[in-house]
Amino acid sequence: MSGFGGRAAIVGVGATEFSRQAGRTELRLACEAIRDALRDAGLTAADVDGIVSYTVDPVEETELVRAVGFQEIGFSSRVPYGGGGSMGTLLHAAAAITSGAAEVVVAYRAIRARSGATRFGGAKTAASPTSGHSGTTAMQWCMPYGVLTPASWMALNATRYMHTYGVTSADIGRAVVQLRAYAETNPAAWGYQRPMTLEDHQASRWIAEPCIRLFDCCQETDGSVALVITSRERAADLPNRPAFIAAAAGAGLFEQEIASDHYSRDLAVMEGSVALGRRLFERSGFRRDELDAAMIYDAFSPILLMQLEALGFCGFGEAKDFVAAGSLAPGGALPTNTNGGLIGEGYIHGLNLVLEAVSQLRGTAVNQVPDAARVLVTASRTGAILTRD
Amino acid sequence: MCPHCQSLDYKAEQLSGRGALYSYALLHHPRNPAFDYPVLAALVDLDEGIRLVSNLVDVAPGDIRIGMRLEVAFEPTAGDGSVPVFRPARSAS
Repeated sequence: MSGFGGRAAIVGVGATEFSRQAGRTELRLACEAIRDALRDAGLTAADVDGIVSYTVDPVEETELVRAVGFQEIGFSSRVPYGGGGSMGTLLHAAAAITSGAAEVVVAYRAIRARSGATRFGGAKTAASPTSGHSGTTAMQWCMPYGVLTPASWMALNATRYMHTYGVTSADIGRAVVQLRAYAETNPAAWGYQRPMTLEDHQASRWIAEPCIRLFDCCQETDGSVALVITSRERAADLPNRPAFIAAAAGAGLFEQEIASDHYSRDLAVMEGSVALGRRLFERSGFRRDELDAAMIYDAFSPILLMQLEALGFCGFGEAKDFVAAGSLAPGGALPTNTNGGLIGEGYIHGLNLVLEAVSQLRGTAVNQVPDAARVLVTASRTGAILTRD
Repeated sequence: MCPHCQSLDYKAEQLSGRGALYSYALLHHPRNPAFDYPVLAALVDLDEGIRLVSNLVDVAPGDIRIGMRLEVAFEPTAGDGSVPVFRPARSAS
């Protein structure tokens, strides 16, 4: 077993408001979230010696250091794979801390997915230095065919999944309804006080038929999330109950793409998440049924069902039944995305799911799972298991 | 580089242009002025074992079936190029 065994922990979290029009730059958004995360942790900028983000973030490290007032950064890194790399920030941070490369690491993501120069869910027609979506060779083979958007890339996988296992749009909609119910009571969420029924879901227009309707899509969101990670020893002296990193892992497979795996053999199975789940559960020593909640990357709802299967919470093709049983809802087998998910709360490219996991472990979540002690956070190919003690 | 043997040699091979539909999606939104909607996006498994992202042509959306036999056609694209697209196979294969 090679997990981190709780030797590193998230001790501070910060976030801006989630909106559709932040009215300020990504750099400023990142600064605000980091400032709040450090205050939450009871630390200052001078305590930080490591910074981690993922490759699509537009906030450049030296500018961030100058703006926040970090004094001496000894470790910095970025995780590849777009939003799929979001939880890899925990792997990098924990690896740095447990190896001695850094003592206090800030992980951050700042995004203007809605009000930025191009909408995040919009057409990608040229390579961008800050977008992994259009920066890979394989994506160039999508462009001549009008397959330009994240929804369109994932739709090709999702249709195959639905065909293989007889999954319907309503089967997927039942998962969205459970997520939106959490969002409805979360004041930070786009979906706050916006009830949505299965009928509403089924009446929403097609984005990509027969798998992705409007209400299957996450919210393009402006905002930032920051996390402060340090050692178990140092965490003991800080004000908040730590969220210990029991295990963190990544799995980037051959023929896996940023937002699609068009060339993998079997597109009905998210093989990267199969490998990720194997690594996380082997390293943590936990069983699937020992988790109290899960935060699973739901950029588009079909991949939520596919990850439930790939991570081993149900058999392949059984997610529709697992979901129909109310497993994701309060009191269900696996309360999932209890902030409303990226679909219901907002899309800070995955990192707001970690914020929610920490709130659950602190016992301060708006939709608190009673006595939550072990929470999974995953984003397709990176993930972590966080624990209360 | 060939990801299986790390060879840097390559040559063009003539393919049959025949295959089967592995997956598809009818893309409705958002719309780009360069395309007609819905875009009939497809993943085609060629008989030689290669998978391509492509478009379906000469087929009504309601007649699309995963596994249907397809054959290549070529359509012009930006510049002077053309790209392979696929239509329902006209002869049994």
